Amino acid sequence: MTPETIFYSVAFPLLGVFLGLVYKGIDRRISARLTSRIGPPIRQPFWDVGKLLLKETIVPKNAIAWLFNAMPILAFASSLTLLLYIPFGVLKAPLEGYGDLVVILYLLTLQSLAMAIGGFASGSPFSSVGAQREMVLMMSYEMPLATVIVGFALIYRSFSLTTIASTPVWSIVSPLAAFGVLLLFVALLTVTPAELAKLPFDIAEAETEIAEGMLAEYSGRNLALFYLSDAVRGFAMAAIEVVLFFPFTLSSILGLSLTGFALYAVEALWFLLKVLIIYLLAVTLVRTSFGRFKIDQASRIFWVHVNLVALLGLALIWVGV
Amino acid sequence: MSFTLLSGSGFWNPLLWLALLVFFALIGYIIYSRGNPSYKPNTDQVMPFLSGNVEPSKEKVQVKAGDIYWGFVEALKGYYKVLTAIHTGDMRDYILWYLGVGSIILFLLVGGA
Repeated sequence: MTPETIFYSVAFPLLGVFLGLVYKGIDRRISARLTSRIGPPIRQPFWDVGKLLLKETIVPKNAIAWLFNAMPILAFASSLTLLLYIPFGVLKAPLEGYGDLVVILYLLTLQSLAMAIGGFASGSPFSSVGAQREMVLMMSYEMPLATVIVGFALIYRSFSLTTIASTPVWSIVSPLAAFGVLLLFVALLTVTPAELAKLPFDIAEAETEIAEGMLAEYSGRNLALFYLSDAVRGFAMAAIEVVLFFPFTLSSILGLSLTGFALYAVEALWFLLKVLIIYLLAVTLVRTSFGRFKIDQASRIFWVHVNLVALLGLALIWVGV
Repeated sequence: MSFTLLSGSGFWNPLLWLALLVFFALIGYIIYSRGNPSYKPNTDQVMPFLSGNVEPSKEKVQVKAGDIYWGFVEALKGYYKVLTAIHTGDMRDYILWYLGVGSIILFLLVGGA
């Protein structure tokens, strides 16, 4: 490992926290505008974190205190490590060559798992029901998520995200396989709100029904860390989708011959714009437009409908590659 | 010495990941330690939220083992409905399932060879 790699490995995830909160702010603002409200300022998530850090951190009497307090830190740390394996525009992933797409799949699970364990450790029936729902959701959407990854492995013969990002998938597959990739994209877009616990799949938190579920007993600094990890995961999930499906660089589209700092600056802004568009499409628009599903409906959607779409996509890729 | 695990097409260095996980956990702990640690331990504040209901005494709460899985069974009731229907308790049925699924797997693995 070079000092440069170590610097990127620390700087990128910390930048991810900032970007995650900015995207969260934009999401809230646009969601409000879509429902004819003014909405909070974009910097509101930063204030929310500050406010939560000032509030009391209550540890419930029935909770397993050490587990209850440790899980927000684990969720925060695991969501930051997720960003180590994702290329940022034209820049390689900080830990390029040290982890692949399968690692990302597991790291996405780890943060949800930390939240579920925290919920179980809360000693509250609402949290327990929320944690059970989260685990059911995880079991439901893991299969289509894994199918998407297998589909890309079939095309590239590699699980490396940098290899995938280096050549846009659409330019190397036949029309039949391209349709399969499109189906995988639809499946991944459907999985995204569930992975991020957003409407219509925020069943594990369902405020009006189980009072925030897993997070019912969390407050203050513990809740702040969960809030931060949620922001990072939202950014990371959208970034993964961009890298998989839309890695096109602005230089290649417009035929620009940029070099050095100008190249990195332009491509970084282009990457952030693509991530924002995916974020708005997969999260903001969906969560503003739909009501919440019931847990058995959500399970059926992923186990049957989304799975079928993903498997059909995989079959088309298998035939078409 | 490389600690990266290789599987032919996949790769992962768990030690590096673990080292950075610990580092980010430390950053998380720093954020955590900057927060307000106070609360009122021996008041109603630490009672579990039960929509305003009083928590029954521990002796009166009886949770059956099956209740622990209620959330899973309820959420996946469509799946369990099928499973319980084929869970007959008859050993001959299980042997048939075992042979049937085993032959399908064998066919998929070596059928084309």
